[in-house]
Amino acid sequence: MANLYVKAVPPADLNRNTEWFMYPGVWTTYILILFFSWLLVLSIFGCSPGMAWTFVNLAHFCITYHFFHWKKGTPFAEDQGIYNRLTWWEQIDNGQQLTRNRKFLTVVPVVLYLIASHTTDYQHPMLFFNTLAVIVLVVAKFPNMHKVRIFGINADK
Amino acid sequence: MIAIPYLAALTTYFSYGLLFAFGQIRDFFRKILDWSGSNNLQGYAPICVAHEDFYVRRLYLRIQDCFGRPITSAPDAWFDVVERYSNDNNKTLKRTTNISRCLNLGSYNYLGFAAADEYCTPRVIESLRKYSPSTCSSRVDAGTTALHNELEKCVADFVGKPAAIVFGMGYVTNSAILPVLIGKGGLIISDSLNHNSIVNGARGSGATIRVFQHNTPSHLEEVLREQLAEGQPRTHRPWKKIMVIVEGIYSMEGDLCKLPEIIAICKKYKAYIYLDEAHSIGAVGKTGKGVCELLGVDTADVDIMMGTFTKSFGSCGGYIAGSKELIQYLKYTCPAHLYATSISPPAAEQIKSSIKVILGEDGSNRGPQKLAQIRENSNFFRSELQKMGFEVIGDDDSPVVPIMLYNPAKIPAFSRECLKQNVAVVMVAFPATPLLLARVRVCISASHTKEDLVKALKVFDQVGDLVGIKYFPAEPDKEQEEDKIVKLD
Repeated sequence: MANLYVKAVPPADLNRNTEWFMYPGVWTTYILILFFSWLLVLSIFGCSPGMAWTFVNLAHFCITYHFFHWKKGTPFAEDQGIYNRLTWWEQIDNGQQLTRNRKFLTVVPVVLYLIASHTTDYQHPMLFFNTLAVIVLVVAKFPNMHKVRIFGINADK
Repeated sequence: MIAIPYLAALTTYFSYGLLFAFGQIRDFFRKILDWSGSNNLQGYAPICVAHEDFYVRRLYLRIQDCFGRPITSAPDAWFDVVERYSNDNNKTLKRTTNISRCLNLGSYNYLGFAAADEYCTPRVIESLRKYSPSTCSSRVDAGTTALHNELEKCVADFVGKPAAIVFGMGYVTNSAILPVLIGKGGLIISDSLNHNSIVNGARGSGATIRVFQHNTPSHLEEVLREQLAEGQPRTHRPWKKIMVIVEGIYSMEGDLCKLPEIIAICKKYKAYIYLDEAHSIGAVGKTGKGVCELLGVDTADVDIMMGTFTKSFGSCGGYIAGSKELIQYLKYTCPAHLYATSISPPAAEQIKSSIKVILGEDGSNRGPQKLAQIRENSNFFRSELQKMGFEVIGDDDSPVVPIMLYNPAKIPAFSRECLKQNVAVVMVAFPATPLLLARVRVCISASHTKEDLVKALKVFDQVGDLVGIKYFPAEPDKEQEEDKIVKLD
């Protein structure tokens, strides 16, 4: 394990806020963080595995919705604000739709939903909240929703 | 092509995620605590939009003591670093009067002209007396002295082009020239790791910008073909002008540009080429004439050659060298020539004298000695580090030696441990480099003696073991192998 190396080719993306996502190891880190947070929730709350997956799914919904689809711009000032109107999701891969990264990020909430609803045996009220989370996240990632602000929510002044 | 250990990549992402999460939580609580306080903006817009200062406040300020250390002597091979302390966890730093004498591995002092030189300094002082420190005027008004004309001729001859124009600042040379050379309707194709001055100049020009993968001529050809076929955005008319911008030595990677292949592609598709030799002029090549000499490229093939005097010549300022018509055009249009103050006369004299030393025209052979010394030093340092097991990137012969760190916690650890042992190094982190690839950037100088380099290697060995950055297996010592062979008998 210690001698496993990956080759990294610097991608041709000038936006430092999203360029880090094109390097090897990101997908694995994402999945490992979800798995370890499930273990953490199980250890802290001592609930059933199904409830823990539901908790992880809903926390994942809140965090990814806030950082991918709500916050706009970049956390540093060197790019002089050219991305200030775009959310992180709209910035990745330079605005190109249906790339590998985008497909992966769309599949993750669906897989989480399947795991959470399976382990809770499709019972209410967990099923309702899980379904709501996956619908909102997947719809937000549609190519047609690029730069769309429904009812002016989160639009610029 | 950088080989990252997979575990290091995973832990680096996780570390940045943790730092990001902590920063967000602290910001959240700060917002709650400040909710009750009065909002005294009185109708003015806030200075920072949204969270564009998040990185500076929550990540950079934590390790602020590793950057921007003040020095109180000339940046020679050894220099004096002012010690600082902080009472509020690095949010503000206060200087003390204590000074530590450290080995300088961070200054761009490639040929050793940064400190007093026996040929250059008397002449600089003489020109300071004759011309005063500033011309107090722009070039077109009253700021052109005989020194400036001589300097431009000197630089043009040194670089190997018919004419040259000189500016007072290196960053400004790129950001003020590019808008003049190309405008709306033009296409700029720049290497993905180009310096910020080129990015700013390109953005200011109004031309369409496309980026090709770092030092990959095949991707450059792909991008060129795609753009030539598409034409200008929306109208699809043919491009007015296409310019490819590359650098001689990339300051964060230490690798040389693949100039012959790139020039071949540009000639094939009739694009102009702009070569930024900030780090390579004076430091590489048999007689110090830069990356064209090193790679055997004819200077007539490169349309515009740009460089700075800060690195190898121990001065300040930048130049553009090209054909006579180009330089004449620039003298009429470039705002840095028309409105900015001209280069300071002592600085110009320093450049002229250092060029004379490099070419050997001062009557001694210190120039060729310095060039041989820097090449020897860089190759020795690089090979020794690789033998110890560090991951060093960059090409041979290049005086920039970056050592990969990856994890964000190793950045301040390495810097502080080295400073404790009196070695001053420069760290480079996000956003100057990609998120994963934080590194230590060592700049070798001709004024480093063998003892200095050996001391630096010893310190790096110890600190590298402590911090854990020897990602590659170390090569065993030859002496140990011989002992083992003897014992088997």
